Formats: sequence, structure tokens, C-alpha cells
Amino acid sequence: MKNLIEIKDATKSFHKNKETITPLDKLSLDVGRGEFLSLMGPSGSGKTTLLNLIAGIDSPTSGEILINGNDIAKLSRSQLTRWRAQHVGYIFQLYHLVPILSAYENVELPLLLGKWTKAERKAKVMAALDLVKLSDRAQHRPSELSGGQEQRVAIARAIVHDPELLVADEPTGDLDRESADSILRLLGDLAEKHGKTIVMVTHDPKASAAAHRALQLEKGKLVGEGHLLSH
Amino acid sequence: MKIFILALKNLTRHRMRSLFTILGVAAGMFLYTSVQTMQHSLSVATETNAADTTLVVYRENRFCPMTSRLPEHYAPMISKIDGVREVIPIQIAVNNCGASLDVITFRGVPPETLQQYSPDLKVLSGSFKDFTSRSDAALVGEHFAKRRGLSAGDKFEAVGVNVHVAGIITSDSPQDMNVAYVHLPFLQQASKIGLGVVTQFNVKVESSDMLDSVAAAIDETFRSDQQPTNTRPEKAFFAETAKQMIELISFTRWLGLGAVAAVLGLVANAVLLIVRGRVKETAILQTLGFSRGAIGFMVVCEGALLGLIGGLFGVLGSALFFHFKSFTLGNEGLTLALTPSSMVVVTGLLVAVSLGLLASIYPAYKATSRPLVQSLNA
Repeated sequence: MKNLIEIKDATKSFHKNKETITPLDKLSLDVGRGEFLSLMGPSGSGKTTLLNLIAGIDSPTSGEILINGNDIAKLSRSQLTRWRAQHVGYIFQLYHLVPILSAYENVELPLLLGKWTKAERKAKVMAALDLVKLSDRAQHRPSELSGGQEQRVAIARAIVHDPELLVADEPTGDLDRESADSILRLLGDLAEKHGKTIVMVTHDPKASAAAHRALQLEKGKLVGEGHLLSH
Repeated sequence: MKIFILALKNLTRHRMRSLFTILGVAAGMFLYTSVQTMQHSLSVATETNAADTTLVVYRENRFCPMTSRLPEHYAPMISKIDGVREVIPIQIAVNNCGASLDVITFRGVPPETLQQYSPDLKVLSGSFKDFTSRSDAALVGEHFAKRRGLSAGDKFEAVGVNVHVAGIITSDSPQDMNVAYVHLPFLQQASKIGLGVVTQFNVKVESSDMLDSVAAAIDETFRSDQQPTNTRPEKAFFAETAKQMIELISFTRWLGLGAVAAVLGLVANAVLLIVRGRVKETAILQTLGFSRGAIGFMVVCEGALLGLIGGLFGVLGSALFFHFKSFTLGNEGLTLALTPSSMVVVTGLLVAVSLGLLASIYPAYKATSRPLVQSLNA
């Protein structure tokens, strides 16, 4: 399987109170196209930092972050913004839907950056909402949805512009077991049926088990790896 | 356009917050537009009233129509001076010589000379014939009539003078809009000044370059008379009479500036609070791929919209207020109708939008300058 993500000696460090903190230390990692990868580890192990580097939200202090062969570590802030708009869908633990917008309008947000017509946007939004089985809730505001439904809307928002890479930061961390299982099945389907490459940070071993492969991080380094499912 | 619509949604879906900000902007812009209306009305009154070839002959050392008394028989003597084309004796009666917001001015002129004296005068209702045929008839300026609720055929009493409204008039001259023209002999008797006494003479000269020489000749003629005169070009007469009003109204410029500063501060504060309350939301949008420019544009749009909507309410509210209230400021017989103008309205709206834009620049910078990871963790 050809890799979508290739990380080579990525280090992230910053200074705080005259002290150098290194949440990620010369980490190297490959993620295959269409792979569903989970990152586990205790708090402060560097999971979210790694996720942010992969998503182009943050840049490494040194090393390479190759996505589809393109080293995003070399991109400027505005180039990274444009790159994210085209290639990444981000799923947050607390969904982070815009509260004043309806589910439809939230999902439509990434499409506002492109040149789609209103009709094209509508078709894409409804398709994404259909995929997460929430097309009947399109006009509902986040406050009118359950946590599981909000996360489904967030997933629809992450996939509506058809990015090849989805990154998810504890997507089930704030959900009950039933809703969490449903979200994990959805993520699994997105990888299996739609070919999305998914990198997910989680504390939950059950959530991690839903991924094809699980990596363990500690103090900014990979300390364990296991294939839970074979391709 | 899509970002603009998003900004509009941000405002319409935070109704109470937007409403309070808009109310504040509207109050500030109401004050600003009211001050501008006063300034504009003053400049219109002082710039368009005075003719270039007209002199005003007044009693020397008298500044109020109540105290300027000249013998009417000066008129034929003035008309004999070289360069004089026409002399019109005028009696003026006002209810208040000092600054007032409801000045009533009667101008007594020989009825047959009224159309020469004010050639662009048009009768809107009633008739000129009715005016000439009745000795107690009055032609009432449109603003005056509106302020007092008068129409043709009505009778009204002011300054101890009872008149019959023969017609409502309009004119390009703002002064004509605020006075009641009556017959000279009637006003002389009704105001108890007595026949043969007038307040002033308006003297038309052959050409503007003769103004100074004719004025000097008139004053020289009556220098040793019991009632010496002071003759000035009409423009200078207006400028001098309007001086107090100009000083008063010039002061209001500071109120206007204060209103502008208040609107600027209010919108800046409101937009800054909006931005601070939306740090995470802004970070989410940036994560989704919204550029700093797009985020900044959205914030600026919100500021501009707050300015525009508040400005619309304030500016139009002020225009309607002056339209329906019909205030007339007066001083020493010179009247100044505070009338709304389309130029003031357009300027007010532009100022409101500009203030909104200006006020949101710093919040827009704040919204986009924070590192994304830091904002996501906020």
C-alpha cells in the first residue's frame, strides 16, 4: 500500500519559562493510503501535537511531514491554510460546530471557500448529511442535537469537500458508549468504503481497537505499534 | 459574497447583542446628523440668501428690526443716487430679536413690489390676487405654514398682528420660506410703528462693482439727518446678522465630533467583544481552511454592517425628525430653517459605514493574529 503520510524525524519544541519543552522528538511514521490509524498515549505524550502537524495546523521545529509526497513543513501559514481547505478534514473532540448555524450551514462551511454553485453546494451537503444519516436534521441548530448527532454533523463537515485525509482528536471522548460505537463504525466505513485515510487520537482502547493499526506514544516518541486489523 | 452572508448571519442570529449595538450607533448618528443638518442649513442660508447686487440700508447703530426705524420718505431720495436701480422699503416685525427656535417674522412690503423684490417666489396654494386685494392678507412661507399648521384661508395672530392667509409660498431663497409677507402700510399700523416708518430699505444697484460706491453715497446723503444710515451689501448684512448663529452652530461641531468618537468607540468595543467571544470559533474556521484575510473580512463586514444599519436608523431618524418638526432658528430677524438635506443623509450614511469599517480593523487584526494552535486550546 502506497503511503499517504510519511513523517521523517519530526521534532516539535518550544520554550516556556526558559525551559525547552519537546512534545515530539525525532518521530518518524508512515501511514498508508486508506488506513485507519489510532494514536494512543498518556496526556502530554505528543499525540495531539503529532495530529496537528499531520493536519497542517502546526509546523515542526525540524523534520519533514510529507503528505502525498508534498512536504507541508515547508509551507507558509497561508499556504498551509489553502492546503488544509483542500486536503484535510478535522474532527474535534467537542465537535466545535458553529452554534448560530444550522447543521446544513455548518456542513456547508468548507464549501464556501471553493467555487461551487449554490446547487452544487446543496447536493454535496445533503450527500454528506445522508452519509452520516442526519439529512432529516439539516435545519436543526447544534443546541437541538444530541452529542452523537453533533459529532456526526462534524464528520459530515469534515468530509463534505472530499479530502483524502481525516484527522480526529478524541472523536468519541465526549460521547456515551452507544454513540461512540456508532461514530467509530462511521469512521471505519469512511476508511473501508470511501478510501479515506484517518488518523485518530484516542484514550479509549475500545476506540483504538476500531482502527486498522494503533500506535503508542510516550514523551514524544513512538513506543509501541500493533496492527489490529489486516488489509 | 459568501463571507459577507456569513457575517450577516453572525449579526442576525445574535439579535440582542446586535440590536443594542445598533441602537447605540443610531443614537450617535442621530446626534451627528442633527448637527450636520444645522451646519448645512446655516451654510445654505448664508450662501444663497444674499444677492450680489443688493444693498441693505439699516438705521446706524441698530442691529434688531425692533429698533431700526427709518423714515419711508428716504426711498425717493435713495432712488435718485447714481447706480440705484430700485428701492424697496421693508417693515419687519419679529416676535423675538434674540436667538430662538420658533421665530415669527412679518415682512411688510408694498404689495405691488413683492414680485420684484422676490422674483422666484411661487404661490403653492391660495392666490397672489387675494394677497393684493386684501389689506390684511399675508403670503406665508412654506416652512412657516407647516410649522404653524396654516393653510390658505386661515387667520392667525402673532406679534400682535392679525392676518388672513392669502396663500402659501415657496422660493429658492430659504428666508422666504420662513416669513409672512404682508402689506407695508398694514404692518406699520398693526405693529404700532406708525405709517411712514420702515425697518430697512433693500436697494438694487446696476452692477456689483457699484455696491461700495452706492453704499457710501447713501450713508453720506443721510449723515447729518436725524436718522443716519448704515448701508452694507446684503451678503455682508447676512454674514453679520448670522454671526451669532454661526458661532452657536460652530460650537455644535464639537458635539458632532463627540458623536463620531462615541460611535467609533462603541462599534470597536462591540466588534472586539464579538471577536474575543469567538476565539475558538475563529480557530475552527481557520482549521477548515478559512484564510486570515477571509476571517478579517468577515469581522470588518460585521463592523460595517453594524455601522450601516445603526447609521440608517440614526441618519434617517434625524432627517424625519427635522422634516416633521420644522424647527426654525432665528436671530435678529434672520431666520434659519433646520431642514434635512439628501447630501447630509448620504454623508451621514458614508460616515457610519466608514466608522464601522475603521472600528473593526483592530478587532479583525486581533482575530487573525493569534496562533491557531493557541486559539484551538483557548
